[in-house]
Amino acid sequence: MAAKKPTKLHIEASELLCKNGCGFYGNQLWQGYCSLCYREECQRAKVAQQEQDSKKMMKKQAEDADKASLFSKFAEKKTQHINKRAHTLKSMFKKTPTKESVPEPRAKRQVNKETQQIKADLMDYLKQFKRPTAEDFVKIVQELVDKLYQNADAPVEDLTDLVQDFYIKLGKRMDSHSLYKDLSSEDIDTLLDYAEKYITVKMYTSLFCPATCDDEQKDLQMQTQIRSLHWVTGQQLDTMINEHETEVRTLVDQAITEIIEVNSKKAPQDKLSCIVRCSKHIFEIIRQSKEGPACADDFLPALIYTVLKANPPLLQSNIQFITRFSCPSRLMKGEAGYIFTNLCCAVQFIENITHESLALTQHEFDRYMSGEAIPPQSGNEYMCEGLRLMYDNLKTLAELRQRQEKVMAEALQLQQEMKDFKENFKQEVQNVLIRMPLTIKPRKMKVNLDDDSESLDLLPSPLLPLTVDNVGMDTRNTRVRLFH
Amino acid sequence: MAGGGNRNFNFKAVLLGEGCVGKTSLVLRYVENKFNDKHLTTLQASFLTKKLNIGGKRVNLSIWDTAGQERFHALGPIYYRDSNGAILVYDITDEDSFQKVKSWVKELKKMLGNDICLCIAGNKIDLEKDRHVTVAEAEAYAASVGAKHFHTSAKLSKGIEEMFLELAKNMIEKADSDTATRPGTGKNNRKSVVVVDDSTPSRQAGGGGCCGGGGSS
Repeated sequence: MAAKKPTKLHIEASELLCKNGCGFYGNQLWQGYCSLCYREECQRAKVAQQEQDSKKMMKKQAEDADKASLFSKFAEKKTQHINKRAHTLKSMFKKTPTKESVPEPRAKRQVNKETQQIKADLMDYLKQFKRPTAEDFVKIVQELVDKLYQNADAPVEDLTDLVQDFYIKLGKRMDSHSLYKDLSSEDIDTLLDYAEKYITVKMYTSLFCPATCDDEQKDLQMQTQIRSLHWVTGQQLDTMINEHETEVRTLVDQAITEIIEVNSKKAPQDKLSCIVRCSKHIFEIIRQSKEGPACADDFLPALIYTVLKANPPLLQSNIQFITRFSCPSRLMKGEAGYIFTNLCCAVQFIENITHESLALTQHEFDRYMSGEAIPPQSGNEYMCEGLRLMYDNLKTLAELRQRQEKVMAEALQLQQEMKDFKENFKQEVQNVLIRMPLTIKPRKMKVNLDDDSESLDLLPSPLLPLTVDNVGMDTRNTRVRLFH
Repeated sequence: MAGGGNRNFNFKAVLLGEGCVGKTSLVLRYVENKFNDKHLTTLQASFLTKKLNIGGKRVNLSIWDTAGQERFHALGPIYYRDSNGAILVYDITDEDSFQKVKSWVKELKKMLGNDICLCIAGNKIDLEKDRHVTVAEAEAYAASVGAKHFHTSAKLSKGIEEMFLELAKNMIEKADSDTATRPGTGKNNRKSVVVVDDSTPSRQAGGGGCCGGGGSS
């Protein structure tokens, strides 16, 4: 993903420059020229055409004169007539906008192809409804397209009004008209989507960045501003984007790709879905760097960071186009509207960025802006993939080494502990031995009471039998005797 | 904007307030009924929707979180244009956040007049012992600007449901009275929206100056 990106970007960037090499940005609609060069080019072509025409006329005139001077009067009249026609033609050229006047066959066919595709889709979709309903819908849309063709030269505000009025009228008609009463609200939404898509794609050349406004100027300003802010880091914006993590890096790249994609889509809804996809990646980045879901406090800085890193082509023109010609309901509600609003915020923030918004001193800010100095943290993100990978690997290795050292230290400690344990155990045993010495007591001899021994002598002499006349006494004595 | 006539209402409410006052917790408690929960279904809490049914009227409420950092203060007008309601959140333990609410209210009144329903939320009432903004002061202020005041706690799930419900009711009233006094305003409303959309870019074109405030006053 990351490896592919630069080539993709490269093509886009080179495509964007004016063919004339004037340094301004060109546009495919103007045959790859910027608006100024294109105007000049058209002027030149027109002049050449007129010259050719007049030459032809002169030739014809001369021929006529040669043929018959008699007819000179007639010839003069004819020339006048031709001239008049040429004049009207010229005025017509003037009236219609330059890009309409000199149709570029290749570009036009391309547009047609895309329009045709949408038209076919729309027709397919309309098949499910009753014929009068479908016809009415097509008629209304066609009316607007015709009106737009007629007013192609009008200021963009008028075009905006035309289109927005159309959305409201169409919405109201579909809400209240009997032809549409069978339609579910989902159908109505889809039809509105189709209407928007068809109109904007078909009329893209005259609606996107028209010559009557200064969108192009703003695009250039924005481009320059973002370029001079290349040094802004995530930390300065308070985002937690850690670009050194490969996963985050991939997500950032994906977000950047999506936001650049905006310019290649034509319908506002497609442009918006690019922006939404871009933010989905940003939300994922935030989710990885913190616990809990992303809130606006995290999202806006991350979006600003993405815009700064992406420097999307014709950003202002695209935002203007979406604001002007998108269905109002889409911009007011829904996640797409919210995210688009955030993008507007991001753009405005970048336009009006000051040292305070980055928590820098005026001096620092000026130095960074003029390219005199580079903030200490920045620069890493511009490393090539290989170098970055190497740094990543080095970091991992260092980590591994640290862990190994820890394991070693712990093993040694364990060894020491075991040793100590052994010593202690020994010591303890010793202590116990000392405290309670082993004294072997003489074994107790079994004494045979009947045996003669010296100790027996110590015993008092046996009691002598007493003679008692009493019978009772007699029995006791017998017992005593027995005992002996 | 209450599109579709009487069918249902689509309302947009913005959450304003300094960072760390708990805007996100508040809305997550409301929409997901969770607090500091790691198992949330949403990837983000910056844009959430809630469907309500109030007296048989279906309301789609979109809640727009805004970046609360001071450096983004100037971007406010882009966020709150076309909103039907605003919830201004402050932290009862933080006097500064209440002052910030006051400045938001002033700005909203200036930019949108009375077209917007306001609710002020004194959040974190579970930390009552550290209170620095008195109840009386806050309620008096809210009354003076025509806003409803609520004491909320996302942690204890207090006052939040009531607040959003009240806001939705107010917004319905406003929408109803708007259509009653100016029938067929839908069109005009939308048209004015377009004009606003156009004016913003030209403001941007002016460059240099701070965005909303200066441009439209």
